Amino acid sequence: MHIQNLTLKNYRNYQQIQVPFDDKVNVIIGENAQGKTNLMEAIYVLAFSKSYRTPRDKELIQWNENYATIEGTIYKRKRTFPLEIQLSSKGKKAKLNHIEQRRLSDYIGALNVVMFAPEDLNLVKGSPQIRRRFIDMEIGQIQPLYIYHLGQYLKVLKQRNHLLKSLQRRQTNDRTMLDVLTEQLIEHASVIVEKRFVFLQLLRQWAAPIHKGISREKEMLEIKYLGSTDVSEVENKEKIRKAYQTSFSQIVEKEIDRGNTLIGPHRDDLVFYVNGKDVQTYGSQGQQRTTALSLKLAEIELIRSEVGEYPILLLDDVLSELDHYRQSHLLHTIQGKVQTFVSTTSISDIQHDTIRQAELFHIENGIIVQ
Amino acid sequence: MYYPEPISKLIDSFTKLPGIGPKTAVRLAFFVLNMKEDDVLDFAKSLVSAKRELTHCTVCGHITDQDPCAICQDETRDSSLICVVQDPKDVIAMEKMKDFSGRYHVLHGAISPMDGIGPEDINVPSLLNRLKDEEVEELILATNPNIEGEATAMYISRLVKPSGIHITRIAHGLPMGGDLEYADEVTLSKALEGRREL
Repeated sequence: MHIQNLTLKNYRNYQQIQVPFDDKVNVIIGENAQGKTNLMEAIYVLAFSKSYRTPRDKELIQWNENYATIEGTIYKRKRTFPLEIQLSSKGKKAKLNHIEQRRLSDYIGALNVVMFAPEDLNLVKGSPQIRRRFIDMEIGQIQPLYIYHLGQYLKVLKQRNHLLKSLQRRQTNDRTMLDVLTEQLIEHASVIVEKRFVFLQLLRQWAAPIHKGISREKEMLEIKYLGSTDVSEVENKEKIRKAYQTSFSQIVEKEIDRGNTLIGPHRDDLVFYVNGKDVQTYGSQGQQRTTALSLKLAEIELIRSEVGEYPILLLDDVLSELDHYRQSHLLHTIQGKVQTFVSTTSISDIQHDTIRQAELFHIENGIIVQ
Repeated sequence: MYYPEPISKLIDSFTKLPGIGPKTAVRLAFFVLNMKEDDVLDFAKSLVSAKRELTHCTVCGHITDQDPCAICQDETRDSSLICVVQDPKDVIAMEKMKDFSGRYHVLHGAISPMDGIGPEDINVPSLLNRLKDEEVEELILATNPNIEGEATAMYISRLVKPSGIHITRIAHGLPMGGDLEYADEVTLSKALEGRREL
């Protein structure tokens, strides 16, 4: 799949531009603060309907304007179709084939995007939240139902936390309601955890050989799910549900004491091991980067195997962060297969055929100068 | 500003209604100016009487002009069957179907700790009292199929279960006359979950 065309209106520092893209590699060159990342972000928003940089859609609209639009023509499964995101102070509209999709789960997945930004190098050493977002985003792209269960889970979680707070402050004494919300929470939690397990098994299959390749056959990568309840990954939804029921009944007094939900998929984490050692704690900076890179490359292959086509890859200012060897490994892997967008301040330090054959776009202050 | 005071007041009143923006409000207000005086008087009277004369039925909580309401007074209806709904509008929807001969209980909302709405803030206590006093065999929980409606149904079922009353939940799934291919994934998965033996 690839983006043939992108049109932006009042988006961040772009007043109005229309760009036809190459179906292989597009390099976006510009000084700092000219709009390179904004362009990458626009493609990301077109795919996921929200930005990874801010939770506030208003920031995406150009200063002093009421609305912004992102339109793209997508080529997928031998057909072209339009995608559109409209942002205004009143809210957001996501259109597929010119028809508004009220459920996000009907929209997300139409365009598959894998993003690799400097922040992603923190995937291994950063907070658990980054890793949870990583799995949630990836599963959501290939399984729309996952987004639904995650959304429902977060809603129940909010209700449950409010109730736990009132129980803590002794404003209410309603244990029956707590039981009901716990049951609802477990219902969605067990679906989420089961789907995460399935996803991790796939991710492992792709990530381990890729990691071995990047590390010149020297490193073995393992990924483990660190759950807040005691279940192993082969277990099904029913067993996960039972395990949660036991865990919650043991922890309920503590939860009331703290006024907060203490276990569940919203607190789980991933742990990466290289040659048996926890990379987050004991790995070198280089091993952490290699791990992050392997995961991203695995993601590309995983989406191809699930969706049937390669996703679009966004490399935002990340090539300069990788050493020469990892750079060429990355570029070699995507060569000729994946439509890729690379943003950089200069291409002189990237020595690779892929970049030499690429389409170049120079950006100055929100305008493309050829 | 541009309008004489009586009409600008009327426009303001119309904008307070749901779904009516400033432009529609202006159009409605000018329409009222051209209406017959009798019609306008009737309209004004119905507005006031709807507000003043309607109360909630002390038995089921439905809106009514007599207490108990017509449904609760109707001897031909099956008093052993109670359908629990969230809103008076849900009763109207059920009645239009003309296929339900039991009685109702209107909760006026759903439990939502986030919004500070507990069971005692909606008509749950009156439902429990009613189940104690009346001979009820089956309770149908017809709250909305969202998180709050679902939680409310589960909550009521937990409280009532020990009494031995038969508790049912309305089914979720595909709309009749629709096509399977147009159903969204969530509805479809619910429909599959609730499949039954033929």
